[in-house]
Amino acid sequence: MANATLTRHDAAASGPEPAHRRRGRRHRGEDLTKILFVLPAALAMIALFGYPVVKNLLMSLQDYGLRTFFTGEAPWVGLKNYTTVVTDQLFSQAMVNTALFTIGSIAFQFTVGLALALFFRRRFPLGNLLRSLLLLPWLLPLIVSSATWRSILEQDSGILNRTLTGLGIIDDPVPWLNSPSVALIAVIGVNIWIGIPFNVTLLYSGLAEIPEELYEAGQLDGATGWLAFRYITWPNLRAVASVLLVLGVVYTIKVLDIILGLTGGGPANATQTLATQSYERSFIDFKFGEGAALSNILIAISLVFAVLYLRATRRAVDE
Amino acid sequence: MISNRIAATLAGATALSLVLAGCGDGGNGSSSSSGQSVSSLTVLDYYNNDPDKALVQKGLDSCASKLGITIQRETVPGDTLIQKVLQQASSKTLPDVLMLDNPDVQQIAATGALAPLNDLGLTGDGVIQGMVDATSYQGKLYGLAPVTNTIALFYNTQMLQEAGIQPPKTWDELKAAAKKLTKPGRYGIAFNANATYEGSWQFLPAMWTNGGDETDLKTPQVAEALQLWVDLVQSGSASKSVINWTQGDAKDQFVAGKAAMMVNGPWQIPALEKTPNVKWDVVTFPLNKPDQTPVAPLGGEAWTVPLNKDQAKQQKAADFVKCLNSDENELAWAKARFTVPTKTALLDQYVKEKPSMKAFTEQVRTARSRTGKLGDKWPEAAKVIYQAIALALTGKASAQDAFKQASGG
Amino acid sequence: MSDSTVRRGIYTVIGVLILCVMLFPVYWMVNASLQPSGNTLTAGFLPLDPTFAGYRRALSEQGQNLVTSVIIAAGTVVLCLLVSAPCAYALSQFRSRWVGIALLAILVSQMIPGIVIANALYTAYERLGLLNSIPGLIVANCSSGIPFAILILRSFMLSLPPSLVEAARVDGAGLFRAFVAIVLPISKNSMITAGLFTFLFSWSDFLFALTLTTKGGVRPVTLGIYQYLGTQVQNWNAVMATAVLSAIPAIVLLIAAQKYIAAGAIGGAVK
Repeated sequence: MANATLTRHDAAASGPEPAHRRRGRRHRGEDLTKILFVLPAALAMIALFGYPVVKNLLMSLQDYGLRTFFTGEAPWVGLKNYTTVVTDQLFSQAMVNTALFTIGSIAFQFTVGLALALFFRRRFPLGNLLRSLLLLPWLLPLIVSSATWRSILEQDSGILNRTLTGLGIIDDPVPWLNSPSVALIAVIGVNIWIGIPFNVTLLYSGLAEIPEELYEAGQLDGATGWLAFRYITWPNLRAVASVLLVLGVVYTIKVLDIILGLTGGGPANATQTLATQSYERSFIDFKFGEGAALSNILIAISLVFAVLYLRATRRAVDE
Repeated sequence: MISNRIAATLAGATALSLVLAGCGDGGNGSSSSSGQSVSSLTVLDYYNNDPDKALVQKGLDSCASKLGITIQRETVPGDTLIQKVLQQASSKTLPDVLMLDNPDVQQIAATGALAPLNDLGLTGDGVIQGMVDATSYQGKLYGLAPVTNTIALFYNTQMLQEAGIQPPKTWDELKAAAKKLTKPGRYGIAFNANATYEGSWQFLPAMWTNGGDETDLKTPQVAEALQLWVDLVQSGSASKSVINWTQGDAKDQFVAGKAAMMVNGPWQIPALEKTPNVKWDVVTFPLNKPDQTPVAPLGGEAWTVPLNKDQAKQQKAADFVKCLNSDENELAWAKARFTVPTKTALLDQYVKEKPSMKAFTEQVRTARSRTGKLGDKWPEAAKVIYQAIALALTGKASAQDAFKQASGG
Repeated sequence: MSDSTVRRGIYTVIGVLILCVMLFPVYWMVNASLQPSGNTLTAGFLPLDPTFAGYRRALSEQGQNLVTSVIIAAGTVVLCLLVSAPCAYALSQFRSRWVGIALLAILVSQMIPGIVIANALYTAYERLGLLNSIPGLIVANCSSGIPFAILILRSFMLSLPPSLVEAARVDGAGLFRAFVAIVLPISKNSMITAGLFTFLFSWSDFLFALTLTTKGGVRPVTLGIYQYLGTQVQNWNAVMATAVLSAIPAIVLLIAAQKYIAAGAIGGAVK
């Protein structure tokens, strides 16, 4: 038990079952059926994304301005948009902010989410109801939740500062959204709040899929508490956890509405990320080529994580 | 050209456009009925919430019935209008009549999307010069705004009375009054200094009145104006949150009794009237030195006519815009929507009928448009202004250095 | 026995406390919705002098929009699951060098800024006559739903024992029949979870609703709420009330769905 882990395959493999790797060859005639499994999705993906992906790439190589929308003229400029955005004085700060925002958000969303998911796996009265209610924040339009958070975090009249001062935890009100040194933390905090329900729900479903038998078997071997988590829960949760993390990165890195709703990238650019910069270049400066260049840089960063994810899951499948 | 062909080829590669190919180019359905009599016009604007939505509708309807046409109106949230316009432009589905915020008119006109109104029988005669400047591009008129607005200083009459002070007329008086009016749980003044065009707009009365100019933002006059904002915040007479506040937030603070004065526009009056326990009045924005004249920015939206291959329709759209800018409609919209007519000849009559709009009407007489001097380059200057404000108010730069730093020099 | 009852009672208390912290902002929104000003600048912890004006307004003006939102979100869930489930199964069980490439493509699709997709769809819809239509919005919402559902379902299906399907195949069932008869029922939990978030993505969509509608007819709540948010004047009281009201039917649906995420479903099936 010390260096082995229990997975569902072990539980389900009733008897010798070595043939499944070759099963594809056994049913050569069914290749068509297999294609039909993926065809609808493949068509949908190409129809929905084929054009936008290519368009975004091309746009980043063009001088694509307000005029272009009316005249269709967008001269090619090579990599000029990329050099412009990379050499911008705000680029490095936006890059650092993006990294802090993403890492901070994911780390806390995932750990808190996992802790809560494990907690809700214990059966207790109202447990299911409470867990479902956790999703409530996701039903609110972002314009409403960011406005609510703005009022909560307001320096003078916000309920957070009022409460903290009342409890004697702080002497002076914290300038949550007003100080360049605090605003990023506040924005990350709000994003964590939004992300937790997502993580709890998915991890909980992942946990629910782990057969009780594994724990019962583990118990016989003395695997309880931390050991059970290490050798039973975690290995069985890995597929779900890894897709959750990679989606988390992909979604978090391009978060826009929350930041725009809370601080608009301020104060004094303290919460500018690559995503807000890209938005600003496109829709405030109307330099769509530069906006596209920035969003492609974002995509490239996300791609690194996507590839890491693929490598990790391939290993898991091959195991 | 090349990009178009490549994009089209690529679009053709996607499944969606395979379906499209069968449908042919159904592009601009509105432009095919040339020569026929025009029976309807499409209209796009951003008056998406009541009461404005309904009040504007009334004006549109009355003009439509005068011209014997029907209108199909689309309203979108304000900050999404330009995005919508761009989408419609690229698919050649722009409306027949398009409303634009006045500082955007020149930018859109510069793309060649709009029809020059002079050729269609419209002029800016009798309209406040500032507004004609805003809606003209390279000597031609591209839009007309029936009504305008601006910002001034609202004050809580009760609070000023209690403190025994008169409404401030100079910056020194403003600072002193704000300080005196500040009490626990209440600030002397609220304004919007956030990092958006709205923040720049609120800064203009101080900047322009003091002789500052957007063509050169590194002058002492501009720095002095910024120093006024810095002084108000650093002395504690205004909340540090002003860097995040919108004009709506400033109004909320004022209504809640958490600010004794505010810089704001007349569109807040209906909301203020809903809370009759807050007694208020308005004066023009204070001057730095008594011999200055107040100069405030002109707000309000212009109605334009996007270019249309269908000449008859384009002419009808221009006639429609002309009707919206008739004396009758100007006064009707001004009175109902707490705005100011743009024709100078109407101003005296208007103040007589609507005394509560006196301060704003006075401001409008001498007001300037944001794009009057810089044209479609105004947004760049506006960006430098709001970034400089943020730098100075967060203490990252002094008022003197802020503009240099914000313009990247 | 009574020992474990006490323990479970304590868990419930802890659970309620966690909820209180997590949902405080939601409560604060409710509080704001009951203030005449729609903000909490002068509000205490409890809305002692509540006004229901915002609710009256929201009820009379947003009912139709709410129905639209529900139809679109439900339609998106159905379409997404129909398209995604077979694909997810294929990507989890069939061995092919295309699997990695497909997964990468799916992930890349989620990195594209939504506005780029919305703009492309606008042009296409304009020609197809899909603007201002519920099917149009359902398809658009699938752009976030399908990739997400595929990835999530696949990660759950990775752990399906191949022996399950093999057994059915030995009995002579075709691949597709085995999928419908065996894989789908076992995957109930993950289907509900994926469907849940597809619902939520679609429910909270603002961008597609804004881009792909040009008149008042089809209007989800996220867009409807903007009729209280003017360029210069905002009616927060009605905004907050609309948000509260629209969350109620949706949360009822979610609670109902979540109830079905049973424990140890697969364990039972394998036995």
